[in-house]
Amino acid sequence: MSTAPTGRPNRLFRNLNAKVASIPMILTAVVIFVGGTAWTVVYSFTNSRLLPRLNFVGLEQYERLWAAPRWQIAVENLLIYGILSLIFSLVIGFVLAALLDQKIRFENTFRSILLYPFALSFIVTGLVWQWILNPDFGVQNVVRSLGWESFVFDPLYNPSLVIYGILIAGLWQGTGLIMCLMLAGLRGIDEDIWKAARVDGIPMWKTYLFIVIPMMRPVFVTTLVILASGIVRVYDLVVAQTSGGPGISSEVPAKYVYDYMFLAQNLGQGFAASSMMLLTVIVIVVPWAYLEFGGRRRA
Amino acid sequence: MARAVTTQRKVFFTVASWAVALLIFFPILYTVITSLKSETEAIQGFGLIPSFTFENYVLVQTQNGYFKPFMNSVVISVGSTLIALLIAVPAAWAMAFSPTKRTKDILMWMLSTKMMPAVGVLVPMYLIFRDTALLDTRLGLTVVLTMINLPIVVWMLYTYFREIPGEILEAARMDGASLWNEIVHVLTPMAVPGIASTMLLNIILAWNEAFWSIRLSAANAAPLTAFIASFSSPQGLFWAKLSAASTLAIAPILVMGWFSQRQLVRGLTFGAVK
Repeated sequence: MSTAPTGRPNRLFRNLNAKVASIPMILTAVVIFVGGTAWTVVYSFTNSRLLPRLNFVGLEQYERLWAAPRWQIAVENLLIYGILSLIFSLVIGFVLAALLDQKIRFENTFRSILLYPFALSFIVTGLVWQWILNPDFGVQNVVRSLGWESFVFDPLYNPSLVIYGILIAGLWQGTGLIMCLMLAGLRGIDEDIWKAARVDGIPMWKTYLFIVIPMMRPVFVTTLVILASGIVRVYDLVVAQTSGGPGISSEVPAKYVYDYMFLAQNLGQGFAASSMMLLTVIVIVVPWAYLEFGGRRRA
Repeated sequence: MARAVTTQRKVFFTVASWAVALLIFFPILYTVITSLKSETEAIQGFGLIPSFTFENYVLVQTQNGYFKPFMNSVVISVGSTLIALLIAVPAAWAMAFSPTKRTKDILMWMLSTKMMPAVGVLVPMYLIFRDTALLDTRLGLTVVLTMINLPIVVWMLYTYFREIPGEILEAARMDGASLWNEIVHVLTPMAVPGIASTMLLNIILAWNEAFWSIRLSAANAAPLTAFIASFSSPQGLFWAKLSAASTLAIAPILVMGWFSQRQLVRGLTFGAVK
């Protein structure tokens, strides 16, 4: 307005500003995360115990890791938790979103209620569900007091069921978000498609299954990646609900890493385990990134 | 048929949705109810009507000093959100209005750090903190949470900024607005809704963060999540008191969430779906 300098700035300066503006962000992301992770991977080849030492022992930590029963249980739990939570989150999330898409009353309130669990900390979620699944106070007790005396429901105290108990809490917390993502996807679908399907006399469930879901592919892919990366890192929930117990039956990889780094004082082992987790995430993320970003640029 | 929503159908779907909502909301509700019971009442069994005692809330404060972790949580989550915005607004501005060939790649890189397992950077971070004397300080936790949530903040702001037509900024520039004026007086007012929902989401995320807070803080700077986590182990059987502590910890989130339903949902879905 006032003292306009020399017209518009030239292109180089515009881009220079942009570059300067994004430097703090890039520095943080690259230096801390990439640097820190690289450091961890390097030290996973050492025999560091209490303190990180550069005394390389090759793959010894990894051999020990995969021989450890505790790690095997952790990986197995993660697989069960991961696969089931993927399936259930997607199915429940989609069904709820479809339900909500029927123009129900008080939709916004409903959506907020479903999102509430997601807005809670994992710690609180874990505690609440620890209570609900507790045989003395929770569901088991309620059903028994209704007259069914032999009813047993104590997933958190049964080593072979404990991971399912954690799964229930995880689903409770995460489904609302998935539903919102799906709803956004459903709302993005052209109303004309519904009309056309109706004119052609296609039943509703077929329209969903064969027309709407294929159209929502990008939403599904994004949801999948969000879910998957969350699953690999599941930690807080286990700590708050069971602390890995009974015994070691609800161990997960993130907890294994944490315990070896800070409780067992065996840093090398923890580094090796966390490098394995990183590898898993990379296997999930890279194909997605390629599809999502690489493909589009070429098109 | 498909979209012809008849009254009957509508009633059915509404009832079904509300049944689901109640089921989902019940654990939260029951936590609040339990917090209003006495300890003996709480372990007696299922009961929806508490005796409305507030002794648990008093105990949480007098025995365990609730107020300090609460203030820690407030300072840390608000502080980290403000710092994150300070860094993210310029970055998102640059990416939204002067995109280069690499912009998409940078965004992808940034988001992927959010997906990396945090345990991978735990030890280096811990060592840095120890050497810079940031362990168990509010400042330290604020810095960590800023960094952790930064990718999401940038990403969300980016999606909001992209909706603003670049021509307006161009026009301001043509009129001779300086860079500062362009961002502060032209861009920011238009992006207020976006910035507000980003802020809100980030405060909630920071408020709930537990992984780093538990490791990097102790008595001094522990936020509510760490407070409750420590609370739960030695006093595991005091359910009523635990419920009171949990209720106090989630109350601000529930209230904030209720008053900003729209922004919250928009923020959450926009953060992930383009």
